Amino acid sequence: MSELFFLPSWPPGAQALPWVALLLLAAAIAGELVKRWLHLPRLFGWIVAGILMGPQVGGVLTEAMLEDMRVVLDVAIGVVLFQLGQRVDLGWLRRNPWLLATSVLESGLAFAAMFAVLLLIEVEPLLAALAAAIGIATGPAVVLSLTRELRAQGQVTERMLLLTSLNCVYAFVVVSVLLAWLHQAYSNEWLSIVAHPIFLIFGSLFVALVFALATLVLLTLLGRRAEAQYIAVVALLITAVYVAAALNLSGVLVLLGYGVMARAFDVKRRFASLSFGRLGQILLVLLFAISAATLELDLLPVGAVAGAVLVAARYLGKTVGVFALAPASGLSMRKASLLSLALMPMSGVALILVRDMSAFFPGLGSSLAAVVVSALVLLEVLGAAAAYFALVRAGEADETTRH
Amino acid sequence: MESIAFKPSAPLTLGVELELQLVNTRDCDLTRAASDMLALIEKKKHAGDIKPEITESMIEVSTGIHSRHDALLAELREIRECVVAAADQLNVRVAGGGAHPFQHWSDRRIFDRPRFQHVSQLYGYLAKQFTVFGQHIHVGCPDGDDALYLLHAMARYVPQFIALSASSPYYQGVDTAFDSSRLNAVFAFPLSGRAPFALKWSEFTTYFERMSVSGIVESMKDFYWDVRPKPEFGTIEIRVCDTPLTVERAAALAAYAQAICRWLLVERPGKISEDNYLAYTYNRFQACRFGLEGEIVDPLGGVRRTIAEDVAATLEAVAVHARELHCEAPLALLASVARDGNDARWMRDAFADAGSLPDLVWQQAERFRSG
Repeated sequence: MSELFFLPSWPPGAQALPWVALLLLAAAIAGELVKRWLHLPRLFGWIVAGILMGPQVGGVLTEAMLEDMRVVLDVAIGVVLFQLGQRVDLGWLRRNPWLLATSVLESGLAFAAMFAVLLLIEVEPLLAALAAAIGIATGPAVVLSLTRELRAQGQVTERMLLLTSLNCVYAFVVVSVLLAWLHQAYSNEWLSIVAHPIFLIFGSLFVALVFALATLVLLTLLGRRAEAQYIAVVALLITAVYVAAALNLSGVLVLLGYGVMARAFDVKRRFASLSFGRLGQILLVLLFAISAATLELDLLPVGAVAGAVLVAARYLGKTVGVFALAPASGLSMRKASLLSLALMPMSGVALILVRDMSAFFPGLGSSLAAVVVSALVLLEVLGAAAAYFALVRAGEADETTRH
Repeated sequence: MESIAFKPSAPLTLGVELELQLVNTRDCDLTRAASDMLALIEKKKHAGDIKPEITESMIEVSTGIHSRHDALLAELREIRECVVAAADQLNVRVAGGGAHPFQHWSDRRIFDRPRFQHVSQLYGYLAKQFTVFGQHIHVGCPDGDDALYLLHAMARYVPQFIALSASSPYYQGVDTAFDSSRLNAVFAFPLSGRAPFALKWSEFTTYFERMSVSGIVESMKDFYWDVRPKPEFGTIEIRVCDTPLTVERAAALAAYAQAICRWLLVERPGKISEDNYLAYTYNRFQACRFGLEGEIVDPLGGVRRTIAEDVAATLEAVAVHARELHCEAPLALLASVARDGNDARWMRDAFADAGSLPDLVWQQAERFRSG
């Protein structure tokens, strides 16, 4: 043993925690600067900080560190999806069935439009379908973060949240089915075509149900004590993230379903006042910063054109879908145009879907990734800006939050 | 200067205005939904009139003119159906109640109209704290002098209306110990309270002109009196009621006002003078604080009794007139309210049962929908 064993070794150990803390600090400061100087929502600062510190620009964080931060990212996305799920009122879909129709239409048209343009630029059909399916999902973290920071209330906000959670589910289901097809194309095992999507979808829903019921039982036992409820739910949420991963299920569907069911079965409204407060905020900061740092900017030159075309087609599809049923679902044309903009963000969930996919099929990841990741990069800031503009123009943001 | 010539109207006709709470379905806090709801409602043909109020979390509905309670109730039910249907489409819930139990006034936003913006600038936090929800009852009067007579004669019954309608025991997240905490928010305004004593419309016009010339008021709207004349409608307007939890209760309160006014106009019991107001603020406080158990004093007769007893006595006195007006059923309902407790009592029981204020609001919305 060296005589100077007590001195720290250099470079310091490759633990993720200090780097997470550093990223958090940088992102938080950037967020405050953006807020104070530009009067924009903090998330733009978090994204910029992430990009600047990421391996592709500043290089403060390496790919390996980001890999270590996956745990944090998964939990953060889990908490976001759970909160989004909690905001979904299934009763609203029953009372206003045109909303369900709107969500199916906007997702379907966005898928069709993206699929068509990708075929036009000669992407292989199955890959085109996969990319289009991933593009169905609106970024849940962006819509949730903006809603919270702007304290937005109103029809654009409510419908943005509802349609986002629904289109995340659709995206996931379509991707699972396509993956099974793809699997068949590679390996010719018919059983897995049927069994894999069924396992993913119903397995995830079942786990979500178990967690939702367990949570409600626990809340009944704990009584209406906010502190105890909060700790219990956070613990269960983290467990749910791990269970989903351990069982090879979909984190997206498990957590979103968990949130939706926990609300739907909560007949006594025990959950009513549960808020994730500061912890939720920290996780959001990290979610944005880590996913921004992960963005593979180097794919942009390869996929920029295809990505831009994809973004345009996606916007067009969603807009037509929202407009077509706006009168029937009780939305003015003006708010419909703003709602279409609010559905622009794309992140988080899409990133997970791309990752899930390349984990199953390492061979096909890169060619598809170039297109999807380029779209993601383009929308990382553009999508959030569009949603922000929409909420403000709709008059649904609380003015006092904008100074 | 605004003319306040009294436009005669058919005596004892009724009209009701209700301010309603718009809450979200998630945690039942007040939500900014008035513009969205009104945009949706405007497109349909509907009964009554549905308007924005000072904040985005409130709408005001009003009926047409009715001579009978049953027609008034029918219209109120139609309006409720319309409002609830629109709310369902937009994922909003509508509730009665004089105040939202746990909203924070700093979160409220002022509806974007010049008059509301002006009120907000003038009164500062009072305007936002004024996110309270009342019922206004209009009673038609043949001329200005009768209107002033009724206005001052009704002062004696103001505590009854407060106690029977009281539905704002919780405010800003706490039990205020008051049955109607809403009126405390109203009393903070400089031009609230009672109308000056004048029995001739010409005297009242002189008073109004003085106030107007000196720049204190611009129109009758600037007076926040408990009972005020509404010359352009030809009515007196009773403004002390909290919005009840159901439209049925709202219609019953209007019928009660109609019966009392008929009794006052036909039999002219007692003499009206400034002395009627000796115990006015004391009695009103008793009604706000203790509801039907409050003790009121009749300064002229020297009698002291609970408001519940006073309601029972008044119901007996107006029974003949209720029969003439076909409103025995709603008055029987109010008799049972006086016996069994008002909405404030119901809310305290519901809270004790549910243990959470959001849950209480949820139940209020359920009651508004079905009651």
